[in-house]
Amino acid sequence: MKQIRKGKVVYEGFEFEITAVFDEADERLPAWEADAELAIVGNPVPRIDGAKRVTGAARFTVDVQLPRMLHAAVLRSPVANGTVEGLDLEAARRAPGVRAVIGPDEAIGEGASPLTRTPEFVGEPIAVLAAETLPQARAALALLAPRIDALPFEVDLESGLRAQRFTSDPVESVRGEPNAYASGGDVRVELELATQFHIQSPLEPHAAVADWQQDELTVWISTQGVFGVRSELAQRFGLPAAGVRVIAEFIGGGFGSKVDAGTEGILAAELSRRARRPVSLIFTRHEELLAGGHRASTRQRIRLAARRDGTLVASEFDALIGMGARGGGLMPMVHAPAVSAYRSENAHAMRFPVKLNLRPVNAFRAPGFVEGTTGYEQAIDELAAALELDPLELRRRAHADRDQGADKPYSAKSLLACYERAAELSQWEQRDRLRDGAHEDGLLRGLGCATQLWFGSSQPCAATVSIGADGIVTVVTGAQDIGTGAFTIAQMVAAEELGLPLDRVRVVGGDTRPNVHGPTSGGSITTASITPAVRAAAASARRALLDLAGQSFEIAPEDLVLRDGRIRSADHALDADYTDLTRTFGNMAVTGEGARTLPSQDYSVQTWGCQIAQVAVDPGLGRVIVEHVWAVHDVGRIINPLTASSQAEGGILQGVGYALMEERVIDPTTGAPTNASLDDYKVPTMADTPAMTVEFINLPDPIASNTGAKGLGEPPIIPTAAAIANAFAHATGRRATALPLTPARVLEALA
Amino acid sequence: MLIDLDINGERHQLDVDPTRRLLSVLRDELSLTGTKLGCGEGACGACAVLLDGRPVNSCLLFVGAVAGRPIVTIEGLSAGGLSPLQQAFLAEDGLQCGFCTPGQIVSATALLEANPDPDRDEIRAAMSGNLCRCGAYPKIELAILRAAAEAAP
Repeated sequence: MKQIRKGKVVYEGFEFEITAVFDEADERLPAWEADAELAIVGNPVPRIDGAKRVTGAARFTVDVQLPRMLHAAVLRSPVANGTVEGLDLEAARRAPGVRAVIGPDEAIGEGASPLTRTPEFVGEPIAVLAAETLPQARAALALLAPRIDALPFEVDLESGLRAQRFTSDPVESVRGEPNAYASGGDVRVELELATQFHIQSPLEPHAAVADWQQDELTVWISTQGVFGVRSELAQRFGLPAAGVRVIAEFIGGGFGSKVDAGTEGILAAELSRRARRPVSLIFTRHEELLAGGHRASTRQRIRLAARRDGTLVASEFDALIGMGARGGGLMPMVHAPAVSAYRSENAHAMRFPVKLNLRPVNAFRAPGFVEGTTGYEQAIDELAAALELDPLELRRRAHADRDQGADKPYSAKSLLACYERAAELSQWEQRDRLRDGAHEDGLLRGLGCATQLWFGSSQPCAATVSIGADGIVTVVTGAQDIGTGAFTIAQMVAAEELGLPLDRVRVVGGDTRPNVHGPTSGGSITTASITPAVRAAAASARRALLDLAGQSFEIAPEDLVLRDGRIRSADHALDADYTDLTRTFGNMAVTGEGARTLPSQDYSVQTWGCQIAQVAVDPGLGRVIVEHVWAVHDVGRIINPLTASSQAEGGILQGVGYALMEERVIDPTTGAPTNASLDDYKVPTMADTPAMTVEFINLPDPIASNTGAKGLGEPPIIPTAAAIANAFAHATGRRATALPLTPARVLEALA
Repeated sequence: MLIDLDINGERHQLDVDPTRRLLSVLRDELSLTGTKLGCGEGACGACAVLLDGRPVNSCLLFVGAVAGRPIVTIEGLSAGGLSPLQQAFLAEDGLQCGFCTPGQIVSATALLEANPDPDRDEIRAAMSGNLCRCGAYPKIELAILRAAAEAAP
């Protein structure tokens, strides 16, 4: 019987009330425990849609070409703060090929327009137009000839603090005694560190194609959440949800920056409504780097007090956070590692969100946790040095057996095993020998470690599984595959539960039309959300199939099993291919539906990991080379080790970029980002890639999901920069006070 | 202006401005959308195609400058089914979102053509003009090594 239940979910650390609709049978499905005999899950499986991706057949939003489609271009602010005094919309309307122009004073459905007459950052949209061709659209932009009065702006964190430009009141987080640092413990350490704005820069830029026909709006959009975009657009334009179809078949990366309809979705839809034509709006790379988003910058001060044996008495974390303009954007939980990563009697954090004239901050893979871990884990290493303890040993001693903040037990935690395995793989005990040894190349070498902590969250989610007369299974998930391999694990879980070969299972997703709800791919929730739903739907379809088999073969269905594509009876009297049954369906199919229910409200569900980095430092040139990263993570059961290790490697590499080279540079005299091109904003190339060793503990967490799996999107990026910075300190005996570790900063630290 | 193009072994005569970029003609005139626009400034390699057998960034090339010369796109490389290199990318998972993948395949195809048995350093040198923001590089390297090993006599 169907049920409705309300409860809490955690998404990127924020708690929400949410409703789940599910069938009791979904909840009764026993979890796959560690001893479950699984034929497919846990084996390396190439991507279900890999052939499309390697042949160029995969259709991304930027590839959508519709008949009579118009092309949009956006006028963006050249100033960091100002007022548009003049704008020649009429000249643009008269320009060749132009079919729609929208200025800053016009309503775009309900809610604030993304276009403004008072821009607060370089790159903020002022006007938009659509023309028959892209060159015509760009030419018409020039005719808008904006006259802008520039106003004073702020792009510096320290002077923003002095001016008290906050986007909200400072946020305090306290556990235990707030002033414990001053009085407690035998040893105290203090560390200050600055981190930079860090740009997602997915290779497919933000893009949308909107086609408004009568009362129905269809939007192809490069998004991490088709259902979220559907709700947002339906609400803004006063349409029923069913009147909006959102499609994201292939998504060229998002990394947190594509979780809503965005300016691209809203403006393309409005242009299409006005022009009565399909409209494509694609960011240029320059626009992507100006206005696509970024991770907040920070100035952190961390203070730790501990007893001689390593017991943490006080963990203090203060951060200035570089937020963007308007409301600032997403306030990152930079304090969370300091409050939650280790057992400490007292913890206290203050966050001061400073409003800067930059794009509002949005999510970038483990927002807050990357920044916070980068500082806090370096302070933990400083504490280990002060205590004359091995850094890993201090972390073992500070291990939290229970979530002190939530006051709940952990559902599962194998962090100690992560430490042990990472140490073994990296020959951690030899690290001083590595540092002190003579290296022919004249480089200084060292090893550093860091702990990873992130949520093991999930959300209610639906799926359907239908089996046609041809025996082909179609899984429908409302989730989208942003490159993680989500559709492949959906295929694997369905095949496993049904007892059918993988090649019989297709997956449909990234489309709201079937109205099978899936979550936004963010917060590392996808695996723990979709796999239980797909499994429940497959179980329901299997039950239906065996019921029919029972009728057909006159055997009680509970005496039948479906395995390896054969329907067998307990007494082995029946052993038939399942298609012997399905081919009697005619044009009909047997469909099962399933849902993941609410996550456990009684346990703290988290993921864990340890990374160890080896660096080589050239003291003459100030160059840091990451030679090897060993990563061991505990994210529950690994459904597909092939794609899981890919995701981990990708996270580590983005962490390497954050540690060594990626940084938004802002001209203090104009407030303009100066490196908004891929030549100037350096992301790692193959030549920058260290050797990587990735392992998983791979123990199911049956409380997290009935497949025992948890998400992996964010964990691998979290500890990388901290491990690299700690390795740098081990190699050189110095700490850089800011990221990234560019040659200039390294030489300054070594001076 | 009428321009003759030799694309994937087929002749096309198009009336286009010779200063248009080859990438734009491939994608917008011929609907060969496998070749991607990643940056439009020659920095990412997503638009790589083979020109006279060598990998080039089609976002930087005037279409008028490549008239009559053989051009092979990802669609051309895929015309006979998956190549051994493409199969190696699948088997090793040398991709994530897949947006850069056509460019990676094009560059790796040219590399193996010129050097059928590359070592890791040669792969890194040849492939560093192709950015992958998802970070599939370790497995792209493995895929190229696998394809090379499978092709070895």
